[in-house]
Amino acid sequence: MDTPTLVLAIYALIAVVVLAATVLSKSHRIMNTLAVGLSASYITLTLYALLSVDLPAYGLVSNYFLIDHLSIYEILIAAILFLFAAVYAREYVESSIETNEMNRSNLKLFYVAFNLLLITIVYAFLADSLALFWILAELTTAFSAVLIVTLNAPKNIVATLKYIFITSTCMLFAFIGLILIFTLTQNNLGVGTLNWSILMTIANTLSPAIMFAAFIFTFVGFAAKSGIVPFHAWLPSAHSKAPAPVSAILSGAITSVGIYGIIRIYAVASQTSELPKISWFLVSFGLLSMAVAALSMLNQVNLKKLIGYSTVENMGFLLVGLGLGTTTAIFWMLFYILAHAFTKASLFFSAGILHHQFQSVRLARIKNAFKLQPFASWGLIVGVTAMTGVPLFAIFLPKFSLLIESAVVSPVLLLGLLVIFLLVAAAFGIFMVRLFSHSEKAYDSDLKPFRAGWNMKIPIVVLIAVVFILGVVFPEQLTDFLNAIVLELGVK
Amino acid sequence: MNIFLLLVYGVVNLVFVVLVSPLFISLIKKVKARAQRRQGPPILQTYRNLVKLLKKETVYSENSSWIMRATPLVNLAAILTASLFVPLLVVPEPTDLIGNIILFLYLLALAKFFMALAGLDAGSVFGGMGSSREMAILALFEPVIIVVFAALAFAYKTVNIPDIFRGALASNVLVNPVMILIAASIFIVIIVESARIPVDNPETHLELTMVHEAMILEQSGKNLAMLELSSAMKQTLLMGVLINTLIPWGLATDFSAPAILFSLALFLVKAVVLAVAIGLFESSCAKYRLFRLPGLFAFALFLSIITLIIEVFA
Amino acid sequence: MIIAPTENILQILVVLVLATAAIIITKRDIRSLIKTYALQSLLLAVMALVLFVVTGSLTLLCLAAIILVSKVWIIPLFMGQVYKKLNIKRDTQFHFLSPITALFVSIFIILFVYLSFSTLLSELSRFNPNLFFLGATVGVSILFMGMIVIFSRKQTLTNIVGYLTMENGVVLFSLSLTELPLLIEFLIILDLIMLTLIATILAFGIDSTIEEFHAQLNPFAYSKDGKSQKTLEDER
Repeated sequence: MDTPTLVLAIYALIAVVVLAATVLSKSHRIMNTLAVGLSASYITLTLYALLSVDLPAYGLVSNYFLIDHLSIYEILIAAILFLFAAVYAREYVESSIETNEMNRSNLKLFYVAFNLLLITIVYAFLADSLALFWILAELTTAFSAVLIVTLNAPKNIVATLKYIFITSTCMLFAFIGLILIFTLTQNNLGVGTLNWSILMTIANTLSPAIMFAAFIFTFVGFAAKSGIVPFHAWLPSAHSKAPAPVSAILSGAITSVGIYGIIRIYAVASQTSELPKISWFLVSFGLLSMAVAALSMLNQVNLKKLIGYSTVENMGFLLVGLGLGTTTAIFWMLFYILAHAFTKASLFFSAGILHHQFQSVRLARIKNAFKLQPFASWGLIVGVTAMTGVPLFAIFLPKFSLLIESAVVSPVLLLGLLVIFLLVAAAFGIFMVRLFSHSEKAYDSDLKPFRAGWNMKIPIVVLIAVVFILGVVFPEQLTDFLNAIVLELGVK
Repeated sequence: MNIFLLLVYGVVNLVFVVLVSPLFISLIKKVKARAQRRQGPPILQTYRNLVKLLKKETVYSENSSWIMRATPLVNLAAILTASLFVPLLVVPEPTDLIGNIILFLYLLALAKFFMALAGLDAGSVFGGMGSSREMAILALFEPVIIVVFAALAFAYKTVNIPDIFRGALASNVLVNPVMILIAASIFIVIIVESARIPVDNPETHLELTMVHEAMILEQSGKNLAMLELSSAMKQTLLMGVLINTLIPWGLATDFSAPAILFSLALFLVKAVVLAVAIGLFESSCAKYRLFRLPGLFAFALFLSIITLIIEVFA
Repeated sequence: MIIAPTENILQILVVLVLATAAIIITKRDIRSLIKTYALQSLLLAVMALVLFVVTGSLTLLCLAAIILVSKVWIIPLFMGQVYKKLNIKRDTQFHFLSPITALFVSIFIILFVYLSFSTLLSELSRFNPNLFFLGATVGVSILFMGMIVIFSRKQTLTNIVGYLTMENGVVLFSLSLTELPLLIEFLIILDLIMLTLIATILAFGIDSTIEEFHAQLNPFAYSKDGKSQKTLEDER
């Protein structure tokens, strides 16, 4: 069999081996090491695919899978995120078990779901058939829900149910959109198809009105997964209730699945004559998400919810970038996905350390943060600085370029974006000030300082370092890579 | 249009409705009794009741006025006129003289209005209570009735009831799909108009549960016979509307004796089935609390509006 | 309106499905909701069977079989079991929309869907216009009506029935337009079963907690401290 199919088979093989081993293993260390091994092997395999497979390769395994630059890009981001999350989880989960937030009996379930989630996400990024992508996206909902619910609190159950209902409901809308596309192609070609690669070639022969309707329906589904307003209601509660590594994955990988779906459908729909309407649609939803998120952030008292709303705001910004639609905009939007995922992960990891120290992430309960957890506090401060787009960090470049692109389209848009960014930065600033100025002279004697091991500190350090390096030096290979993606998406 | 044929139609229809209505009342009672594992009164009992009431003395309360004396007559007259509008056995040629659906509804409303006044007239507590409940229910339900019949009219593109029946006969389908929605709505209309469970309990005289019975509590003798007959006839007329639009097969269009006899036999069969269905439906649910009734009405309204949407926009 | 008999039957079935969806919106008793859902799925299975008889495509036969087994039998059975174990056997309470308002809202939704589909789907000429249009409209309308059920009810089991109704709407929509390859639908239904499993187990978790039970017993406590005691909403 040829290289791409071989690569796909090896993904499956590694998956089966690791899953079997996880089910059979008895100790936490082994399970964690297997999870780390899974993500590491996926990273190497993907890099191998990047170097040896003739990209893009469409229509693999009887037309169900593809490998192209966008999939490799997203898989790499997700796998790296999972790697760090697994390393971080080693100690995080142990401490959770000690403080009784998690049961030891749930460990196996946690790690099985963890691995299954990565496998499903990888295959979702590799799917050529949109229906297969839909199924895998639904499966990611299921597995991530399991991850959220392994904590003992009943509030987690509420948050999980909300998550499942909102995302699954909206995914049903997406399915209707897919049926519309299928019917449309069946009408035109005689044989219906949901293959992205085929759709890209025939997109401009399809009826624009129905394509637009199908776009709206599928958008609803995938927007719910990425937390776009008004489907974002699950995001703050799920992120704040979930354990920190899971929150990082939710913000970085699951939302990427949603955005990936929107990008793919956009690539097809943008070839029709309805492109202006679609762009307006995307930009308005993006702005709406950003505005709602920014305003909600101003009043927050829960650190993880604050970070969750920041994810909503960033996803909105990604939509604005997608809506702007020029090659530059899409280029920087893709880079923004990377920068956001890593920065957000570091934020959640720092918040996780604080959570373990204070048993809560609310402002009222966190006192003397600097004294007790200097590392996490600095991680938080640096992460927030990076998140708001301060230069020398990775988020600055894409944000700045997208702002320039938006100014080209409309100065009003630029003004709106600037105001929102100001609000977001203010919200972050207010929260940080309140957080770190909350100190008491005599702190509780039974509040012993939580020793965060190197397992929890190294991911934060490495992520911030990567974000810093990418902000200072933009590698040439990355430029070529992202340009290849833009080309494949058919953006003009 | 032959006046003679019209007269024949009128006489046939009137006589048939008057004769057959008490049968359905007892039939439903029998079905309900059987469902409760009782014997129930015999099928012909309602006829015997009516004859008995006709022989009894009519007593008027001292406080009552002309309304008490006039209501049974107005009621009977309105329903008898309305019965001309709904062909049960044979459909006459189209004419503007009779059959307008709006007039039909108005006649029914007139009858109800006078009945409510009569309930108040005697000055008793029960009567007032019954009248106020009836008017409250009706205030919510009249719009629904109008929409239901409007849906029927839109479905057949005419406001003349005999024309509607002719249209139903002419369409070649066994059961028109849109009619299922209308049939469910008309079924609910029958339940409400003939004061059956879950809207009202026709067999009780308990203060808590009566609406229609409360209004006729003070009536006696011939008046009571007339009121009972007119409510039975109202029920039969609505049943006829349901039957002849849902399953019109067998309805006679010419005035020959074999056609009319055939139509009569078939109508009896269908009406018996419908009566049994009503009886079973009544046995299967309890009387709703008054504030839950709007839910039932909204359901009928929903179905009719869907019909309207399908008919108007398709 | 003279229509061929099978189209007639199919249209009747579609209309009945719409009626069952209206019943699901207005009913409060959980037991009858589950039964109405089973009835709705049965109607869809019959519809698939009729379509199979007309077109002879084996996919439809398999689809009818799958619907019968999973949606008419297994899922209602499972939900019945969970319902028996729950403490709360009372009728549901309403969040934003009472059933009557919900019915009116759904009337508007159906009208809206009808109008937008009539302009939109006139371009798809290959399909039988009558069934296709009615089925597609009713399918999407049921989708919205299920959504109304989800966000207007408090009990988790009712929300699950609402979600399953939405799923039925999607199945109806796809039946009227075209048939997707079987593998996909089989996986979807498997998916659905899994989600239902998870959701019901979680619902079990919710309804057996003490706080939730107390909150539902004391609706007046809601307004007193201003704290929301509703299900599926977070405290700030």
